[in-house]
Amino acid sequence: MSEGLTRREPVPAEPVSGRDVIVRAAAPMARYALRARQASDVEKLLGRPVPHKIGDTDQGVLCLGPDEWLLLAPAGTALSAGEGAAVAVTEVSDRNIGIIVEGPRASEVLAAGCPLDFDRFNVGRATRTIFETVEVIIQRAAADRFHVEVWRSFAPWLWTAFATVASE
Amino acid sequence: MTGYRLPMGGRVNRQTQLAFRFDGATYAGFEGDTLASALLANGVQLFGRSFKYHRPRGLLGAGSEEPNALISVTRGPGRFTPNLRATSIDLYDGLEASSQNRWPSLKFDLGAINDRLGMFFPAGFYNKTFMWPRSFWEKLYEPAIRRMAGLGHPPTEEDPDHYAATYAHCDVLIIGAGPAGIDAALEAASGNGRVILIDEQDELGGGALSDPALWPWLDRSVKALAASPNVTVLTRTTAFGYFHDNFIGAVERLTDHLADVPHGPREKLWRIRAGEVILAQGAIERPLVFDGNDTPGVMLASAARVFALRFGVAVGRSIALMASHDSGWHDIFALAKTGVGIAAIVDVRDAVSPDLLAQAEALGIPVHLGHSVIGVRGRLGVKAISIARNGGTGVADLACDALLMAGGWTLTVHLWSHSKGTLAWRDDLGAYVPDQPNENVRCVGACAGAWSFGDGAVIDILPTPKDPTRAKAFVDFQNDVTAKDIKLAVREGFRSIEHIKRYTTNGMATDQGKTSNLNGLQIASTALNRPVADIGLTTFRPPYTPQTFGALAGHAKGPLFQPTRKTNIDSWAEENGAVFELVAQWRRARYFPKAGEDMHAAVNRECRMVRSSVGIFDASTLGKIEVVGPDAAEFLNRMYTNPWKALEPGRCRYGLLLKEDGFITDDGVSARLAADRFHLTTTTGGAARVLNMMEDYLQTEWPDLNVWLTSTTEQYAVIALQGPNARKVLEPLVEGIDLSAEAFPHMAVREGTICGIPTRLFRVSFTGELGFEINVPSAYGRALWERIMAEGARFDITPYGTEAMHVLRAEKGFIIVGQDTDGTVTPQDAGLDWAIGKKKPDFVGKRSLARPDIVAPGRKHLVGLLTEDPNVVLEEGAQIVADPNQPVPMTMIGHVTSSYWSEALGRSIAMALVVDGQNRMGQSLFIPMPGQTHVAKVSSMVFYDAEGARLNV
Amino acid sequence: MILIHCPYCDEKRAELEFAYAGQAHIARPADPSALSDEEWEHYLFIRANPRGRHHERWRHIHGCGRFFNAVRDTVTDKFETTYKAGEPRK
Repeated sequence: MSEGLTRREPVPAEPVSGRDVIVRAAAPMARYALRARQASDVEKLLGRPVPHKIGDTDQGVLCLGPDEWLLLAPAGTALSAGEGAAVAVTEVSDRNIGIIVEGPRASEVLAAGCPLDFDRFNVGRATRTIFETVEVIIQRAAADRFHVEVWRSFAPWLWTAFATVASE
Repeated sequence: MTGYRLPMGGRVNRQTQLAFRFDGATYAGFEGDTLASALLANGVQLFGRSFKYHRPRGLLGAGSEEPNALISVTRGPGRFTPNLRATSIDLYDGLEASSQNRWPSLKFDLGAINDRLGMFFPAGFYNKTFMWPRSFWEKLYEPAIRRMAGLGHPPTEEDPDHYAATYAHCDVLIIGAGPAGIDAALEAASGNGRVILIDEQDELGGGALSDPALWPWLDRSVKALAASPNVTVLTRTTAFGYFHDNFIGAVERLTDHLADVPHGPREKLWRIRAGEVILAQGAIERPLVFDGNDTPGVMLASAARVFALRFGVAVGRSIALMASHDSGWHDIFALAKTGVGIAAIVDVRDAVSPDLLAQAEALGIPVHLGHSVIGVRGRLGVKAISIARNGGTGVADLACDALLMAGGWTLTVHLWSHSKGTLAWRDDLGAYVPDQPNENVRCVGACAGAWSFGDGAVIDILPTPKDPTRAKAFVDFQNDVTAKDIKLAVREGFRSIEHIKRYTTNGMATDQGKTSNLNGLQIASTALNRPVADIGLTTFRPPYTPQTFGALAGHAKGPLFQPTRKTNIDSWAEENGAVFELVAQWRRARYFPKAGEDMHAAVNRECRMVRSSVGIFDASTLGKIEVVGPDAAEFLNRMYTNPWKALEPGRCRYGLLLKEDGFITDDGVSARLAADRFHLTTTTGGAARVLNMMEDYLQTEWPDLNVWLTSTTEQYAVIALQGPNARKVLEPLVEGIDLSAEAFPHMAVREGTICGIPTRLFRVSFTGELGFEINVPSAYGRALWERIMAEGARFDITPYGTEAMHVLRAEKGFIIVGQDTDGTVTPQDAGLDWAIGKKKPDFVGKRSLARPDIVAPGRKHLVGLLTEDPNVVLEEGAQIVADPNQPVPMTMIGHVTSSYWSEALGRSIAMALVVDGQNRMGQSLFIPMPGQTHVAKVSSMVFYDAEGARLNV
Repeated sequence: MILIHCPYCDEKRAELEFAYAGQAHIARPADPSALSDEEWEHYLFIRANPRGRHHERWRHIHGCGRFFNAVRDTVTDKFETTYKAGEPRK
C-alpha cells in the first residue's frame, strides 16, 4: 500500500494570459529556510557562497534578513539537517507556492498591490514584502519576470488578484 | 442664438450632438459639454433643492467647487450614483440624470415649507430641539430629519462595476494642470525624473480652458507633455488626500464619461509616493453675501466666463455683475465681447481703476459704484435685482436674468493643509496663503498667491438697509448656512472657529468649505471684533471632493475582499457536503451531515463513531513552528510554563504559554525530533501571534541563544485519526514505524513514511481516544486522506468536523484557549497547575503568578457544570448567579464558556468560569434565561474516562 | 502611510510592512523573582506617553523580520531615527 500519492496544488496548472503579461504557477521545488548568525556558517553547510546583503540573491539563495536565507532548488534536492552546527535548516518545500509573473506589464501587476518601487528594484533582487494584506517574497528574475513566493493557503487569493489585474 | 448656446466659440464639438435626460425631459448637448453647460444651454436654471430649507438652487460655480447642483446619475441596475456635481459630469449620449432632495418635483417641492419656517431653523436647531424625550430620537426625529434634510439616496443594489487600484512612484507629482501646473510639469519633464501630472477635469488647461488666447500655448504644451516618456498625465483624476511622507491618494474616473460602459474598471485608485509634490490647485472665486444670493441665476462671475468661453453657453441674456473685485469686471468684459447682453456692473467699492471704467464705457455697460445688491426678485430664477447706495439710499430695481458675483479669490489650500503645511494670512489678498511646508512640497500659481486676479476689497456682508434678521444671505450654500446663523453662534458664546463650524455646519461635509470658508471667517471676525488672522482656519480633511466607496475599496471586493485560507483537504470536504465555519481566515469543516441530518444529528453521529470505532479530522490549520538550534530546549524552557530540557527526542509534551502578565495566551502539543529540533504546535488562531511573541523574546531579550524559528504551519497537512480502531487503519499504510503501544506510546513522535510519503507521526489525542496526528507535506494531504478513508472503510471510518472535535475535547475537559479563556485566566484559574514547572526559576509569566491580585482569593476558576435537567444544553456566554431570588440587577459570578450535548454521556455538559469555582464543587448555581432559570451543579471538567484508560491502548 | 527606515535593510519601506511593538528600552529583568511587586508592576505595566519624542520598537515583520528601535515624534508622526536592537538609546 505504498504506491505514490498525487500532489494537489492550490493554483491552476494552466497560465492566465492578460494584456502583455502571463501569470503562471512555478513548478514544485525544494525550499529550505536557512538561519545562522554568519553567512559563512550557511556557506559551510551548502559548500557554496551565499549572498551577504539583505535583498541579494545568488543562484537560488535569497538573503531575506540578517540571519535568514531561503534556498530554492530543484524538487527533491536534499540538504543536511545541520545537526550540531549553529545553523537551522528547515524544509518548507510545500509551505510556499511559486507564482511567476512575466511580460512587459509584470511590474505593473505587482504594483497593483505592493508598495515597492519596481523601477528601483533591480534584476536579481529579492525581498519579503506585502501585496495588499498578504505577505509575499518577490524576486526579480529578469527585467520582465518576477518570481513570487507565497504561503500555500494564500496562493489562490494572490493568483486571483494577479489574474484580475492582468486582465485590466 | 439657439437657447442660450452662443453662436460660436468654446471647446465643445458642435458636430457631435448628444441626447440626454434630466428629470425625465430630453435635451441635447454637444460633445465636450458637462451636464451643467448642456442644461444651461437649454435654458435650465433650476438644478436642485437645498439641504435644509429646500430652496430652489441653480449653479454657483462651473467646477468641482459647485455646492448646489448635486445630481444623481443612473446607468442601469446597481449603477446609480448620487450627489455628483452637474459641473463635473461629462456629457455622453443617453446620460440619465435627476435632481435630488425634492418631492414631488423639482419645481414644486413640499419640503420648501422649511424655507417659510426658516426662522425656526436657526444654527444649532437640531441640537436644541430634538433633545428629548430620548426615545423619540431613533423612532421619530432621526427618520423624519433624514427624509427631509438630505442629499441623494444611497444606491440599493450591488455595484456591478469593477474597480482597480495601484501604487505608483514618481520624483515629481504635480496636482492641477492649469497654466502654473503645466509649466511646472514641462520643467520637471526636462529632467530625468519620473513625473506625474494630475488634473480633475477631462482635459488639461484649468483656467486656460476659458481663455482662448492661451489655447495655442495649451495645445503646444499638451503635445510636449504627451511626447515626454518620463511624464504620466492623468486627467479625470482627483487627488483627494495628502498623507504622510508625500503619499497621495487619487481616483481616476475611467468610464463614467462614456456612453457605453466598456469591460474594465470604472475607477482606479492611485496610491502615489512622490519625491516632491507641486500643488497647482488654483483658486476659487468667493461669492458675496447678500439677501437672495442663492436664487437660481446668481453665480460666480468666473463660472459664467467658463460657461461662455469654454462651453459656448451664455448664463443669461441680460447679465448683471455684483463685484468687490476687479476680476469680475474682466469676466463681464469677456462676456460682453461674446455678444451677451450686460445689464449693469454694480461694485461695492467707491472707486475702481479708470481703466476698468473706460472699458465699461466703451462696451456701453452701466456702472454703479459704491452700490450693493440688496435683494433678488424671482424664486426659480432671477428676474430683477434691487440695488442701493452703500448708505442705504437710492434704492433702485434693475431687470436682469442672471447675476454674477465677484467677491475675490480663495486659494485652494486643501491638500497643502492635509499635508500639515502652515498657512499665513495675507491682507492684500484677503486670503490664507501657504507658509511653511511639512513635506517636500511647494505651491505654484494661484494657490500660492502668485497669480494676479487684480485688486479687490474684502467684504463680509454687503451693506443693506434691510432688516438683517429677515435676510437669507447664504454663506455655505451646500449646508444652508446663512450670515445670521454665524452671528447667532457668536452671540451664543462660541468663540473658536472650529466650534462655530460645528455649531453652524459651515464648511463641513463633502463641500469642505470651498466657497464658504473665508466668508464665514470674515463674518465671524466682524462679530467677534477680532482680526481674521487671530481666528485661524478650520481643518481641511480628505477627501477634497467625494469619492466612491468602490474606488476606495479597489480590488478588495468579492473573492478578493480577503483571503479565505483552505487546507489541501478542504476540497474533499466541500465535495462531501461539509458545512464550513471560519476560524481566523481559515475555512474549516464544521460537520459532515448525511442526508436528512441536522447539525446535532450529524455531530452526535460523528462523536459516537470516534468513541466506538475511528474518526478522521483535518487538523492542518494548527499553527506549527519549527524550533531549531543548539539552544532550542533552553529557549522553550524559558517560554513555556513546564520543563522542556529533559524531554527526550521522540517524545511530545503539552506546552502552556503565558504572557508576561501571567495569563494564558496559547497552548499546544510539541515534539522533540532531535536534540536541537522541536516541532511546536499552536492554536489555529494563535499561530502568527505566538511566532511574533517568540521572535520578540528571542531577538530582543535573549539574543545570545543560538536557536531559530520557522513557521511550518503550511508545510504540513495534518490528519488526525482518532478512535479505538485508529491503529488498525494506520498499520497497513505506514512504513518504518512500529505502531505498537509498547514501541510507540501516547505522547510520542516518530518519523517514517506513509504511502511512500515522508511523515512526522504523532501519537497524541485531543479526544481522549487512541489517536494519531499524521503530518505529511501539504500537497499530499488530500490524496492521503482519501487513502486512509479507503483503508478505514472496513471500520466505517467517519470524517468529523470542528463541532464534534469541540464536544469530544470538552468531554475530556481539554480547554480551548480563547473560548474557555479570555486573556484574564491564569494556569491556576484554568486548573492547569500541573503544567507549571514548580522548580523552574523563571519562565515567561512566572513572576506575575505571584502578583497580589493573582494570588488573592475570589478569582474566577474554570470548572465543569452539570445541569439538573440533563437535556438542557446551556447557552455559551450565559451568566451565572449564586442566588436566583436576589433583586435585579443580580450579582453575576461567572459565565458559561463551553456547552454541548455529550453523546457519550447521554446528557449535556458545560464548562464555566465561576468565582471561586474550585471551592464550589457540588454546589448548585443558577443560570437565569428568558422564561426559565436553569440549575446546574459545579463539577470536575473531566466528564469522560477520568482515569484515561482509553488512551493507553 | 508613513515610510520607515529599517536599520537592518538600510532603506525606507512602507509602513504596511511594519508592526508596532510598544515602548523601547524596557529590558526584561534578569531575575524577575527577585523583584518586589512594585518593581514588577513598573516593568510590566507602566509606560511613557510623551507628547513629542518617543522611543519605541517596531518590527519589520513583512520584511527582514527584525525588531528594532526608533525615535518618533508623537505630535508630528515623524521618525527622528531608527537603530538596531541592542544599540544604546538615542
